[in-house]
Amino acid sequence: MSDFSPGGINPEIVLTAMRAVAIRVSEDLTVREVSGDAFDVQIETDVREAIPALYGMEDVLRDGPPISIPFVQLNDDTTPPVTVSSARDKLTGALWLVLRDVSEESEVQRQLVQNHNALALAEAELRAARDAALAADRTKTSFLANVSHELRTPLHVIIGGASILSKPRSTALDPDEVVGYASDMHESGVLLLQLVDDLIDLSRSETGDLTLYEEWCDLNEIVDKMVGLGRELPDAAGVILEAKHIMKAPRVFADGRRIKQILLNLISNAIKAVAQRSDGEVRVSVDRHDDGSACLIVQDNGPGMSEEDLAIAREPFGQPRAAVRSKGAGLGLAIVDRLAKLHGGALIITTEPGQGLRAFVHFDATRFGDKI
Amino acid sequence: MMKTYKIVVLGDFGVGKTSLIRRYVLDEFSDQYRATMGVHLYKHTDRIATEGGQSEIRLVVWDIEGAPLPSGQTQRYVVGASAALVVGDLTRADPYSAMWSAADMFEEQLPGRPMAFALNKRDLSDAPSPDVVKRMERRYDGPVFETSAMNGEGVLHAFHSLGKSILARNL
Ligand SMILES: Nc1nc2c(ncn2[C@@H]2O[C@H](COP(=O)(O)OP(=O)(O)OP(=O)(O)O)[C@@H](O)[C@H]2O)c(=O)[nH]1
Ligand SMILES: [Mg+2]
Repeated sequence: MSDFSPGGINPEIVLTAMRAVAIRVSEDLTVREVSGDAFDVQIETDVREAIPALYGMEDVLRDGPPISIPFVQLNDDTTPPVTVSSARDKLTGALWLVLRDVSEESEVQRQLVQNHNALALAEAELRAARDAALAADRTKTSFLANVSHELRTPLHVIIGGASILSKPRSTALDPDEVVGYASDMHESGVLLLQLVDDLIDLSRSETGDLTLYEEWCDLNEIVDKMVGLGRELPDAAGVILEAKHIMKAPRVFADGRRIKQILLNLISNAIKAVAQRSDGEVRVSVDRHDDGSACLIVQDNGPGMSEEDLAIAREPFGQPRAAVRSKGAGLGLAIVDRLAKLHGGALIITTEPGQGLRAFVHFDATRFGDKI
Repeated sequence: MMKTYKIVVLGDFGVGKTSLIRRYVLDEFSDQYRATMGVHLYKHTDRIATEGGQSEIRLVVWDIEGAPLPSGQTQRYVVGASAALVVGDLTRADPYSAMWSAADMFEEQLPGRPMAFALNKRDLSDAPSPDVVKRMERRYDGPVFETSAMNGEGVLHAFHSLGKSILARNL
C-alpha cells in the first residue's frame, strides 16, 4: 500500500497522522497484513494477542455486523487507549480491523466523566445527609411531643386542683379533701421539676456544657442515702429495698451529686419495675474488682426487657413502648448513661424478659484513692 | 490454544466495579475514586474448583464505565461476553435500580448467559434485605454475593461462581 496514487490519498500517511493502523486478518483471526506503524502488530500472530478486546468476539467478527469498541485500554498501560472497529472489504471480502489511538480525546473525556461522577456522588451524599437530618428532626419532634405529654399530665393535675381550691365553694370541702388536692398538686409539681431538671441535664450533656464538680466521696454513704430516699418514693411501699456494703468502701473521686443522681434514677426505675409484684425486690450494691475498678449495681426482680426495648429505653429521643415507658419521659437511663460517661465510666445493663434487670455503673481504677 | 473468556462488570458509577476487579486480579485496594472512562481490560488466569477437580480458566475482565442506565456504548461493550458481574453499592439509598437495569440489558443482549450480583461496600453497610436478594436471585437465576473490595469479603466467591458457570456450560 505504499505506492502513492496521484489525486488519491495515501492511507499510510493518513493512518500515521491519526496514529492508527489497519490490520487485515484471515478467518482464523491471524494477522496477514498491517498498514501503518503506529502500533506494534506482528504479522502471522493471533490478532487477539495484539487486541485482547477481541476475545469472545470471534463469532461476531466472522459473521456479525461490523463492531466498534470505543476507548479500550489495557490495564497494564502498555498501549494507549484505542478505539477498535472492524470492516469488510466489499471487493475482496477480507476482514480489516482498524486500531486508532484516542489518548487525547480519552483524557479530556475522562476528566469530564470524573467531574460529572464526583459531583453526582457528592450530591447523593448531601441528599443522604439531608435525609438523615430530617429523620433526626422527626425524632426530635416526636421527643418534643413525648415531653409535652409528660408536662401536660402533671400540669393538668395542678391547674385542676388549684381551680377547685380557688373557687369560693371550696370552703365546703372537708379538710381531708383539701389536703388530698394539695398533696396531688405538690407531687405533680415535684414531678415537673424533676422532668425539667432532667431535660436541662440532657441538653447540657448534648452540648457538652455539663461540668462535673469532683471531690472525694464515700460510696457506702451515697448508697445508704439514696436507698433511704428510694424508700420514700411513691411506688416503694411493699418493695424490699436493700443496700449491700462492701467491707472497705473505696473513696471515689467523682461528682457526688451526680453519683447520687445516677443511683436515684436507677433505684427509681427499679422500684417502678417491681411495683406490681407482691415480692418486689431491689438490691443496691458496690462491687470492687481485682483491677481496682468498681461497679455500682442496682438489681431488680421485675419483668425485665427485650434487647429492642432496652435499646429504646436508653435512647433519649426514642419513644419506648407504653409498657416500658416510665414517668419522667424515659429520660432516666439516657441521663445515667451520659453521667457515667462523663466520669469516664459506663452504664452496662443486663436483662431479659422475665429475668429482671441489672444495671452496672462502672468506674475506672483511676477514680479510686487506694491501691488494691 | 486454550480459550479465553470475556467477563463484563456492570453497574452504576462509583459502586466499586474497578475496586472489585483490582481486588480480584491484583489483590489491592485504593480508597481514591478514579472514574473509569470507556473500558479497561484485565487479563487474568485463575484456577477454579470444578466437578472434576481444579480447572484453569483464562479470562479478560472488562471494567466498564459506570452509569445508572446502560447506554448504547455499554451495549457495544458486552458483545461476546460469556458472563456478567452486576455490581451495586449497599451504602446508596437505592442500590438496586441500576443493578436491575444493567441485568435486564445483559439478559436482553445475551439471553441465558450466567450473571452474578455483588452487593458491594458491605464493610460500610448493614446486610441487604433478604427479600431483595431472593427476588434478584430468582429473576435472573444468578447468585447474589455481599462483597467488600476494601477487605476482600465475597470477592473471590463472586468471580469464581461466574468462572464455574462458564466452564460448566462450556460457553
Ligand atoms: N469502603 C469501601 N469502599 C469501596 C469499596 N469498593 C469501592 N470503594 C470505594 O468507592 C469508590 C468508587 O470505587 P470504584 O471501584 O472506582 O467504582 P466504579 O464502580 O469502578 O466507578 P466508575 O468507574 O465510575 O463506574 C472508591 O473511592 C473506592 O475506594 C468497598 O467495598 N468498601
Ligand atoms: Mg471504575
